[in-house]
Amino acid sequence: MKNFEGLNYYEILKIPANSTSFEIKRAYQDALSIYNEDSLVTYSLFSNEERGNLLNTVKEAYSTLIDENKRAAYDTILLDSGQIEMSITSIQNQKTPPHAHTSHMTDRDTVEERVRKKSRKKEVETLSNEILSRDLISGDDLKKMREAAGIELSEINAVTKITVTVLKSMEENRIEGLPPKLYLKNFLRHYAEILQIDSQKVIDGYLKHISSVQKK
Amino acid sequence: MAQIYPIGGGKGGVGKTFITASLGALLAKSGKKVVLIDLDLGGSNLHTVLGINDQQGGINRFLDKTVKNLENMAVPTVIQNLFFISSSLCSMEIANLFHAHKLKIINAIQKLAFDYILLDLGTGTNFNTLDFFLTSNQGIFICTPEPTAIENSFRFIKAVYLRKLKHIVKQHSFHSAVKKAVIHPNHEAVTSPDIIEIVLKHDPDREMFLRNRLSGFKFKFILNQFRKNLDATIGDKIEDLCNRHFYSNFQFLGNVGYDVRIHDSVLSKKVFIHKYPYAPPAIDIKKIAEKIINTRSFIPVTG
Repeated sequence: MKNFEGLNYYEILKIPANSTSFEIKRAYQDALSIYNEDSLVTYSLFSNEERGNLLNTVKEAYSTLIDENKRAAYDTILLDSGQIEMSITSIQNQKTPPHAHTSHMTDRDTVEERVRKKSRKKEVETLSNEILSRDLISGDDLKKMREAAGIELSEINAVTKITVTVLKSMEENRIEGLPPKLYLKNFLRHYAEILQIDSQKVIDGYLKHISSVQKK
Repeated sequence: MAQIYPIGGGKGGVGKTFITASLGALLAKSGKKVVLIDLDLGGSNLHTVLGINDQQGGINRFLDKTVKNLENMAVPTVIQNLFFISSSLCSMEIANLFHAHKLKIINAIQKLAFDYILLDLGTGTNFNTLDFFLTSNQGIFICTPEPTAIENSFRFIKAVYLRKLKHIVKQHSFHSAVKKAVIHPNHEAVTSPDIIEIVLKHDPDREMFLRNRLSGFKFKFILNQFRKNLDATIGDKIEDLCNRHFYSNFQFLGNVGYDVRIHDSVLSKKVFIHKYPYAPPAIDIKKIAEKIINTRSFIPVTG
């Protein structure tokens, strides 16, 4: 089974990027009616776990797009990565075009570049050196480093396509919300690459931390 | 090149045999040369729906070697251009087909010289049924808009999908760890996501190949016994959902309306669309037949 891999929030709700809030609400209701456990269409298709993950992503998409500020920030990311075009974003965004969007900043590399620049600060480096020297690395440590660099979860999502729900589970050490180990390792590697820290240390430290939590 | 359409679906009584007969008849009426093959081994009914009193046998004589060429067992029906190969005189133990016999039948089917070959399959998800469904790169499953039928359809799709995935891994070069996990799994219940995960882990370069192979397989489906008061978009919803969450391709062919006269025509052993060509279900199936004729042909199955 595939989840929503590779789809942005608009694609998940099956609406164009210039949808009104009314259309977003309606699309959300439609999506809920399809992914709910009493839906005739899907009740026998997904396991409870699969359904839970899909519903979380749908809710996350809705709560981002229905909030004007969050949506504007998300649109900026999509614009920068070239997933949507200026002309089709919602009207409220057209009035105040994001200043980051200039002609030479349209591809994904520039978003990545912009996000990475944030982690090059001196104080971030000191903090991450300190954290990486430990044997165990928890989700809180990841969060601390990310916040020190001033990087938002939605920005990590825009570059890596890892959903915000999963990123949150990683940061909050919620084992039941984590993907299978193989994927988790990959996600941790991407996460570390964005923060420009040693990915192998992050993977080893985090997995050790998780297994120590499980033993308790 | 003949287009082969296996017609399956996990649940019994959803109308596989009725749809096979009607679809075949309509394809034949539009000038195509069509053969229907009853592969519901051990539960053959298609001859009765076609109003044929099976005396001369069919697949049984091909398997016991009294007839060399399966094509010689295709008998004409009341409809011009429509032929039929029966399995109703097969032995009482035919449902447990030998592997070699299964391959012999599949090979013979792929050599038949017709425009369209429709295979009427049995219920359930046993290997014979799944392998007959995988004779072609496109298959039709029949479902009714009821939770039980939809549940069995998903089970059927997942079973076909898993078997297809295993075939692909067995027939092409993959890392030995992938092969081992598929051919000699550590635990019985290896699932499709498991296999994809193993490929990702040991053979990441082959992942695209696997996805392409899976997306080359087309599931088509029909919602039968559709009553007027139901949500008419349910078929489109299933199509969209399956395309989102499986790597294979899904196409909804249409709803076929419920009609009490279908039951009557089965009782009188008459081909329904021949007797009531303008009844709503006949018109529904006609639209489906047109869709099928307008589909461009696919490359035959290679694994």
